[in-house]
Amino acid sequence: MRSAAATARGATRRVPPDLLRLAPALLVTTLLFGGALLGALKQSVEPPLGGGPSTWSLASWRAVFADPTFLDALWFSIRLAVISSLAAALIALVLATLLRSRGPALKTTFSLPVTVPHLIVAVLAVAWLAPGGIAERALGSLPIGVVHAQSGLGIVLVYVYKETPFLVLLLLSVMGRTLRRREEASAVLGASPSQVLRWVVWPAVRRPLAVGSMIVGAFVLGAFEVPLVLGPNYPPTLATYAYQATQTSPLSGQGKAAASLLVAAAAAIALGLAALALARTEDG
Amino acid sequence: MVERRLPRTVGTVAVLLFAAPLAVLVVQAFAEVWRYPALLPQRWGLRGFEVAFEGDQALQATLDSFEVALISTAAAILLAWPAARALARGPARLRTAAIVFLALPLLVPPLATGTGLAEWFIRLGLADTRVGVALAHLTVVLPYVLLVLIPGFNPRLRELEEMAASLGMGPVRRLVSVTLPGIRAVLAAAALLGFLVSWSQYGSSLAVGGGLPMLPLTLLPFVGSDPNVAAALSLLFLAPAVLALLLASRAAREAL
Repeated sequence: MRSAAATARGATRRVPPDLLRLAPALLVTTLLFGGALLGALKQSVEPPLGGGPSTWSLASWRAVFADPTFLDALWFSIRLAVISSLAAALIALVLATLLRSRGPALKTTFSLPVTVPHLIVAVLAVAWLAPGGIAERALGSLPIGVVHAQSGLGIVLVYVYKETPFLVLLLLSVMGRTLRRREEASAVLGASPSQVLRWVVWPAVRRPLAVGSMIVGAFVLGAFEVPLVLGPNYPPTLATYAYQATQTSPLSGQGKAAASLLVAAAAAIALGLAALALARTEDG
Repeated sequence: MVERRLPRTVGTVAVLLFAAPLAVLVVQAFAEVWRYPALLPQRWGLRGFEVAFEGDQALQATLDSFEVALISTAAAILLAWPAARALARGPARLRTAAIVFLALPLLVPPLATGTGLAEWFIRLGLADTRVGVALAHLTVVLPYVLLVLIPGFNPRLRELEEMAASLGMGPVRRLVSVTLPGIRAVLAAAALLGFLVSWSQYGSSLAVGGGLPMLPLTLLPFVGSDPNVAAALSLLFLAPAVLALLLASRAAREAL
């Protein structure tokens, strides 16, 4: 009797308690994150001072897209995101292949850069690779410029160092026992090592690799403190462009900064959602 | 043979990845005079730390960073705990939708989130306050903590809890003697990650609390102007991460 009542109570309550448990997190995220996007949007459509009686205006958006510096920043950020995520993906693929049969200690060691703040990695890059840094003291001179290089090589190096471990962990999670068994089965059936690689391993890892790389790309699109420390004087990234806009003209710069940051945010969200769509095609 | 070689590989990798790059930071922090092209400083000393802590801006920034990281991590755990419990089961479609929504703030540039929040925080009197900065950090700390916590509430833990309930244990005793011991490691990892994420925040701290600089904001200007001071502050900034590394390597050794 008691158990029947308990079951009935459980059945009627099963969905609501989970929603209740989710509610605080959903509410806080909606308020903070939704509020942040709305706040930035509001700033970007604020009418310029003395711009008449209208309550909103697209002046900041027009100003941003007419500004060659913004267009250079947009292009620079996209280029950094593409190069960093491709380089990290390639290195992660090699590392994961080397690490998959190793013990957990080595895997943990390789995942350590995850804990080091971006800013510290940038400081380290300056100490080692800047003109007059350790590398130059030891070798005499560096063949290519890294810190403050026009190419953004320093920024790329910092992100590759920071994000490769994340991709390695992602790859190792799909390179487990199931994949090994399938590889062995294909080998038994007469597939050559290169065929196993092409037909068994690559199809299993390419999707997580693509998804992870897109997320890395989204991170790099928002790069701020890393280019502040070791980026070139020109071009800025989208975030440093926004920062410079507020520094040069505190009043009119605010709207341009918000518009530029919203472009970065939209691109990052679009990349993230595309990654999600790609991840889901796997489950059919 | 294999067992002996493995730790050596681990050691080599650890040295190449961390110890060597970080050693320079230690040298630079204690290098009062380090003229080019010498490989080692001409004079050692504590000047970097003395200049860094002149006045008490750096000390205050460290304490503020610490407090903000504690507040945002604690708030994130309180919010993520029930959510993770709910997201560990239930219909897959709903689960994915909720996780994607809650993880969305991770993708957006922190400077963008901070700039947008500042619009409201200025009106609410939260700009340049520790609570305001902690709230801005919570936007990204919450999803990280949540993603780490979800796998902790696995079916095995739920079975144990149900068993404890059927034995007549009340909710508090169940939490203390079944749930917490079962999820301890995952909870520790989530708290550590949450703390590090908040501690490392730059863009959102600048946008919401430029007038109350956290440690990374205090550190950055020195990178170009005075590497000695920058290195001293970097060591301080790195301390929690090093602690995390030590804990992780101990856990890894136990796993071997």
